[in-house]
Amino acid sequence: MNQKHILHLYWRAGFGITPKQIEQLIGKTKTQVVDTLFRQSSKTTPLVIDLIELESFSVDRLKKSKSTRIDFNKISREKILEFNGAWMQRLTNTNELLREKMTLFWANHFVVKEDNAVFVQQYNNVLRQHALGNFGDFVKAISKEPAMIKYLNTKQNRKQSPNENFARELMELFTLGTGHYTEQDIKQSAKAFTGYNHDFEGDFNLRQRQHDTGFKYFFGKAGKYDGDDIIDIILEQKQCAKFICEKVYKYFVNDRVNSVHIEQMVNQFYPNYNIEKLMRFVFSSDWFYAEEHIGSKIKSPVELIVGINNTVPFKLKNERDSLKIQRVLGQVLLSPPNVAGWKGGRSWIDSNTIMIRLRLASVLLNNAFISSKEDGDFVDAYKQRLLKRNKNKLPFQTDAKWSVFESNFSKTKVNNLKEYIIQQPLNNGTLSYLNNLNKSSKQDVCIQLMSLPEYQMC
Amino acid sequence: MDRRKFIKNSTLASSLFFVPSFVKAFETVASSKLGFKRLVIIQLSGGNDGLNTVVPFRDDLYHNARPTIALGKDDVLKLNDDIGLHSSLGPLKRLYDQGYLSIINNVGYPNPNRSHFRATDIWQTASGSEEYKQSGWIGRFLDNYGEHPYNAIEIDDSLSLALKGEEYNGIATKNPEALFKTANDPYFRGVLNHYNDEHLSEHNLGYLYKSMIAAESSAKYIYETTKTISSTQEYPNNQFGAQLKTMAKFINSGIDTKVFYSSLGSFDTHANQKGTHSRLLEIYAESIEAFVKDLKQQNTFKDTLILTFSEFGRRVKQNAGHGTDHGSANNVFIVGENLKRQGLYNDMASLSNLDANGDIKFEIDFRSIYATVLNKWLMVDDTKILNKNFMNLKFI
Repeated sequence: MNQKHILHLYWRAGFGITPKQIEQLIGKTKTQVVDTLFRQSSKTTPLVIDLIELESFSVDRLKKSKSTRIDFNKISREKILEFNGAWMQRLTNTNELLREKMTLFWANHFVVKEDNAVFVQQYNNVLRQHALGNFGDFVKAISKEPAMIKYLNTKQNRKQSPNENFARELMELFTLGTGHYTEQDIKQSAKAFTGYNHDFEGDFNLRQRQHDTGFKYFFGKAGKYDGDDIIDIILEQKQCAKFICEKVYKYFVNDRVNSVHIEQMVNQFYPNYNIEKLMRFVFSSDWFYAEEHIGSKIKSPVELIVGINNTVPFKLKNERDSLKIQRVLGQVLLSPPNVAGWKGGRSWIDSNTIMIRLRLASVLLNNAFISSKEDGDFVDAYKQRLLKRNKNKLPFQTDAKWSVFESNFSKTKVNNLKEYIIQQPLNNGTLSYLNNLNKSSKQDVCIQLMSLPEYQMC
Repeated sequence: MDRRKFIKNSTLASSLFFVPSFVKAFETVASSKLGFKRLVIIQLSGGNDGLNTVVPFRDDLYHNARPTIALGKDDVLKLNDDIGLHSSLGPLKRLYDQGYLSIINNVGYPNPNRSHFRATDIWQTASGSEEYKQSGWIGRFLDNYGEHPYNAIEIDDSLSLALKGEEYNGIATKNPEALFKTANDPYFRGVLNHYNDEHLSEHNLGYLYKSMIAAESSAKYIYETTKTISSTQEYPNNQFGAQLKTMAKFINSGIDTKVFYSSLGSFDTHANQKGTHSRLLEIYAESIEAFVKDLKQQNTFKDTLILTFSEFGRRVKQNAGHGTDHGSANNVFIVGENLKRQGLYNDMASLSNLDANGDIKFEIDFRSIYATVLNKWLMVDDTKILNKNFMNLKFI
């Protein structure tokens, strides 16, 4: 496999790769490289923070006292922010790269927003556990998670007064897509999910008295179905496999769907719904490495931040600033805009976010300075002046470890940096501009490249 | 085919389309299609307690439901024998007395949602409670009728969903100088001076370059158009006051902006509501009055309409913590010079006929207000933006 294809694979299955890591892979076959990627993700390492403070609360105390509930909620909110930080950390530093990327993908598919930190952590780890597993088992597990039961009101779904929220989103957003079911299907399937509940610890339980054990008429069938049966019937529809394959394609390959590729993917995925097999097929296919896909995707804010960190590791002096950055870029982990999740692609970009994104690397790594010194320009007064001015004005303080960059890129010539940092060939105009700039500092060139619109793509 | 679609298609059709002229093409036709009227939208975030804002101070049901937080006849500024404004709303009462205020009661939508996030999305995207739209109503106004991002400006650091369209977005800025300086970095200028049109024909990369060009030219336009404007009007010394001051400065500069957006937060008064609510209403009313005075001095008030909403009202019955929980229907304020219906637009809902949650039932769909504003004020086809027909109201 060549350098370009390795970079492409690692940008899509992860958040980029350094020249030092590429050295280990270059010359291996595609099968070997893809195998390595999957082997490294064969285990699941749950993401766990210290929740002992919350776990010490008891249901009885919470039920009785409002002030206890207020305390609980306050700690819980803090813990969710902490979990956000832990998740960002995990994304920048993991052995199970593909599993983590898939977890991020599924978190924007099975979308929830939850304020109990215990349930948030549990849900996040269910995503991680099933990320490369069986899609059917995944949906069933999700349907029984407290975070989902609360978010889509299955908790309020009772035999006498059904709440259709979960049943609707299950089909519209999680499995089939709009237009592939009827209002009747929603009404009938909602009955199968009546009585779903959970306890304080986060375990699922079915309230038998609230559960409708009667007949349901669903997709032309009739039976005394429960929730899992309904999911099984949905999975029988080939449309479900198609819907998921399209979403995977848009996220991992190209936001413009190729129907021939989708059909091949559906043939791999249906009827067994093995996610690992599907992903292996995608990353092994020739079309995945086609020129038109390389560098064609607009990075999500998280991909952008983690990607920068992969090239030049940095630490925020105040960890909470990470939230600030996520917020201005429009993607705060664990805080999706609605049940449909982040729309992605071009919707990340508006007149504000584009400027913030273009500025981000320089602010995080170089005191907001982007050198525009031309070749043969000796005077560095401008830089000094700007650095001085910027230093006090930066929105946050960071510690950038350029030494790690220097070591990872030690064998890379300054003229070749762009091939590692930018995924697509640079246009002649941009190239001639960059070529005219002074190249005495690898660090300056790295920042210049990371400040191009092209760097927003992977 | 309308002009915008035509321009879009020709961009796709011709890879020879050179971008400085692409930007120019928009600039020369600026304002050609849009009128000179402008809309200001203020969101009271967190769910303003409408019932303690416009108060049925003689209603026993009101007092029974709120034993410790209800406002009596001495706590309100009377509008008539039964209804009064919260006493912190003195400045707003003065606007009312001049005939500049219309209060629309019981505004909401069917099957109301009581989550802040979801309810805010519903108001900002103009969707029903069962549909999820991913573009805002002002964003769709830009999609159909806008020419530049700065046709809709939010006075804030980041852009609300309301101003994000399917294709086009508004722009957010609190500080035009900072925005201008960022966009004007010598390196970015260098990049923009050297791009080729090939950049722009590429699917997503082209979009990024176009966004960068639009941001740069908008930042420059906003900064240069507004930098010399000054005003003697005093504003309350708080963030909201500062935002409205910036907004007035923009308006008085003659900037080609049709919609301004701003918000005032912290209305989520679950506990010990009285003090907080009173302080927030005071900030709101004082700032709005200063804003109106500022515009009047420059003769721009007559072309400005100010719409104030909150994502939901609050529960009629107070809670045990001397506060109120999330409710549904609420009042909307319209401030402007030539209102067709001044004062109370409609009666307040009866507190004896509440929904199953004990919330006020809605009478007027909020999208009827949007439709009216789009149609009668901004003079555009409201159905193109709302994708549905809503009854027009008669306040303008």
